[in-house]
Amino acid sequence: MSCTLGEVKNRADLIIYWGGNPAECHPRHFTKYTIMQKGKYVPNGRKGRTMVLVDIRETPSAKAADIFLQVRPGKDFEVLTLLRAIVKGQRIDPRAAAETGLTLEQLTDLADRMKRAKFGVLFFGMGLSMTRGKHMNSAAALTLAAELNAFTKFVAMPMRGHGNVTGADVVLRYTTGYPFGINLCRGYPRFNPGEFSSVDLLVRGDVDATLVLGADPGATMPQPAIDHLARTPTIVLDPKVTHTSRLARVHITTAATGITAPGTVYRMDEVPLPLRPPLKGPYPSDEEVLRRIIAAVRKKPAWEPDPAGVMAG
Amino acid sequence: MLRITGGTVYDPANGVHGEVRDVCIAGGKVVAAVEGGRTIDASGMVVFPGGVDVHTHVAGAALNFARGLIPEQHRKAVPVVHSKLRRAGLGGVTPTTFATGYLYAGMGWTTVNEAAVPVLSAKHTHEELRDTPIVDKTCCVLMANNELLLDLLEAGEYERARDVLAWLVWAAKAYGVKAVNPGGVAAWKWGKDAKRLSDPVEGYGKMTPGTIVAALARMVDDLHLPHPLHLHCNSLGNPGNVDVTLETMKVLEGNRAHLAHLQYHAYGGDDWGTIRSEAVAVADAFNANPNLTADAGAVLFGNTVTITADGPWQHLLFQLTGKKWANLDVENETGCGVVPYAYKPGSPANAVQWAVGLELLLLITDPWRIYLTTDHPNGAPFWRYPEIIRLLMDRDYRREQLNTIPGAVHSRLVLPELTREYTLSEIAVITSAGPARALGLPHKGHLGVGADADVAIFNVDKDPARMFAYPRYVIKGGEVVIEEGELRQVVEGRSFAVRPAYDEAVEAYLRPVFQQQYTMSFDNYPVGPDRVHGLEVVGPATQAGREPGEPGA
Repeated sequence: MSCTLGEVKNRADLIIYWGGNPAECHPRHFTKYTIMQKGKYVPNGRKGRTMVLVDIRETPSAKAADIFLQVRPGKDFEVLTLLRAIVKGQRIDPRAAAETGLTLEQLTDLADRMKRAKFGVLFFGMGLSMTRGKHMNSAAALTLAAELNAFTKFVAMPMRGHGNVTGADVVLRYTTGYPFGINLCRGYPRFNPGEFSSVDLLVRGDVDATLVLGADPGATMPQPAIDHLARTPTIVLDPKVTHTSRLARVHITTAATGITAPGTVYRMDEVPLPLRPPLKGPYPSDEEVLRRIIAAVRKKPAWEPDPAGVMAG
Repeated sequence: MLRITGGTVYDPANGVHGEVRDVCIAGGKVVAAVEGGRTIDASGMVVFPGGVDVHTHVAGAALNFARGLIPEQHRKAVPVVHSKLRRAGLGGVTPTTFATGYLYAGMGWTTVNEAAVPVLSAKHTHEELRDTPIVDKTCCVLMANNELLLDLLEAGEYERARDVLAWLVWAAKAYGVKAVNPGGVAAWKWGKDAKRLSDPVEGYGKMTPGTIVAALARMVDDLHLPHPLHLHCNSLGNPGNVDVTLETMKVLEGNRAHLAHLQYHAYGGDDWGTIRSEAVAVADAFNANPNLTADAGAVLFGNTVTITADGPWQHLLFQLTGKKWANLDVENETGCGVVPYAYKPGSPANAVQWAVGLELLLLITDPWRIYLTTDHPNGAPFWRYPEIIRLLMDRDYRREQLNTIPGAVHSRLVLPELTREYTLSEIAVITSAGPARALGLPHKGHLGVGADADVAIFNVDKDPARMFAYPRYVIKGGEVVIEEGELRQVVEGRSFAVRPAYDEAVEAYLRPVFQQQYTMSFDNYPVGPDRVHGLEVVGPATQAGREPGEPGA
């Protein structure tokens, strides 16, 4: 249950950030889309909105919040589950609340605010989706938002970042049916995060060459994955020198999309935006390099999957 | 150059109902005669104009949202294995883009109308359509809950609203105008709905769904768009919604409209326990209103996923099923909901839905006004159309299938009493000639001289489901893409868009309003013509509903 960011700008009177620090990580989020904007139905802007921040530590984003709720690390799932129970009017043991670092009064107040809001939104960051509980936490947040729609209008949205990760997700979905963790070795897409995700393939040493596009796994992945990248042929397309490019066999310098190359970027709400480069540069775009690689590969003898093998598999 | 000889030709638009004659093709068009070139011997086979889908969801942010929601269904989908010709992909209930092109062409369908596009994400829809090969494409842009328009209508500024609508159609590079649950989705932005035509619309004073429907239908006719208002009526799927559907026909006041997935709007009863068919009432009223066309939105039993801009309906379906639910509201324009769903023959409500789709197809007397769809993927995926053709052509099979649903439901249906069987000519009308005419595509849906050379050639088979699932040959724009039932060539499809006339000054009005209400720059909003692959701009028709202009540059 999500929406494009303009819906938040025009309607949201309750804005919750959970497990994220937008003041530092998404610095334009407050001013362009959420608390600072005057919206069509929120004419008073900041005064017409309540912002709640839920996190395990007091980040600079807390200064912007009306209410800051500090959760004990690893207890997000419990807080979300308690909120779901309170929203449904179930009785809660105050001791269960206390374990989360919050009081029952704080939780009940938040649940009341969520139900009373005309339009509520829950933005959740990696502090929720990538910490203990991982996708279970995301599922709990999304379920809470879904269930709140029995009382009022409520939406939830992950705070995605890292450039155009949403765009990659979108394009993979319409070409293969899946957003990531896709294996095409049998000639058709299969999906299994944890088995086919790039980090798992690298850690297991399943791949014998890697093409890196718009990412810097050498900076973010676990050491065994980085070791495998260094051990095997790794090709990096990037406008700049990165941790990965330093360990790669080949680094092709490409144009920076949006600066010297045109393109399309998908916002975190999946709205596509065209990019018009203000500058000219000497380097080819990622797309051009890939087209040339594909053309060169085409000249090699074709590999076609064997349908009999597919059926046997 | 290509000559198809000896086939039994069904070209109802030109009064040809099963005659053995040649079809000649040159330059991608049907011509009177050709010298030399290839000959396909179609003796003993049936020759149809390529299928035209007037209402389907094959591309766009909502569908792509659905793809991400149902990996468990993809796992069961037919894989499309990468080959020299084919890109890898998946079939299933939401086929991937390339697979969509192969699957449509693989059953002889060559033109599709993507029925629900928000302007805000139209760039994305066109990206997906670009990767949907072989078939030609049109799309309808969502307007009935667009707040730029509703605010103007509320203020009584009809003329300016019409200019805004025309500007938006061109901005989205769309072909037609779609209305989904008029006013209801705008109300959904506050968690409400507008089920009846006289209901107030949350957030507005004067406006009702009825006034929105009437105004939009009038605008589309005033602008002489080739395709009438494409209307998803209020109260979709609700027991007892027949009254709303009949009332909608009245408020149109003779303006043209295409009623989408009529099956979902023809129910009686008070609740899910008492839901019954009102196909007779809907068909009678429809038969008496020549300004209307419709598509069936038929349901087949099995797994699928429902996707619609009708946000409040999807929330209800989520509450009913307890299954997954995704909602994606689009600022100022529309909503969208996704709920995976399984139609079960044992469920009385599903059994009624299954029957109503067939009843409407059988009760509406003029096949030129009712078309075969399943509202893909809502009622069933499009690749199951041949199963519906069999149900329409074979009453014994229909009777057999009636035995699979609870006997107690029979009294709530008229299907058991219907004996009509579709002829091959009528199948050619509801799958090709009729929808092409409704879309206002004069070069589609027939095999007369000058038509696009889109042809499907079928082996004669006593089982129509098998016959129409596996054409022997499919020709698209004069190129043989399917031969002996196999994909032999992949061609690119074209995209048709309409550029209606509007006062250029409307842009000066829109810019500041837009900057205030949206979250992107006004200049980034329209879809540039260079972003639409194979774009062909169609002029508005000279008179509403008749003779649309030829495609031009």
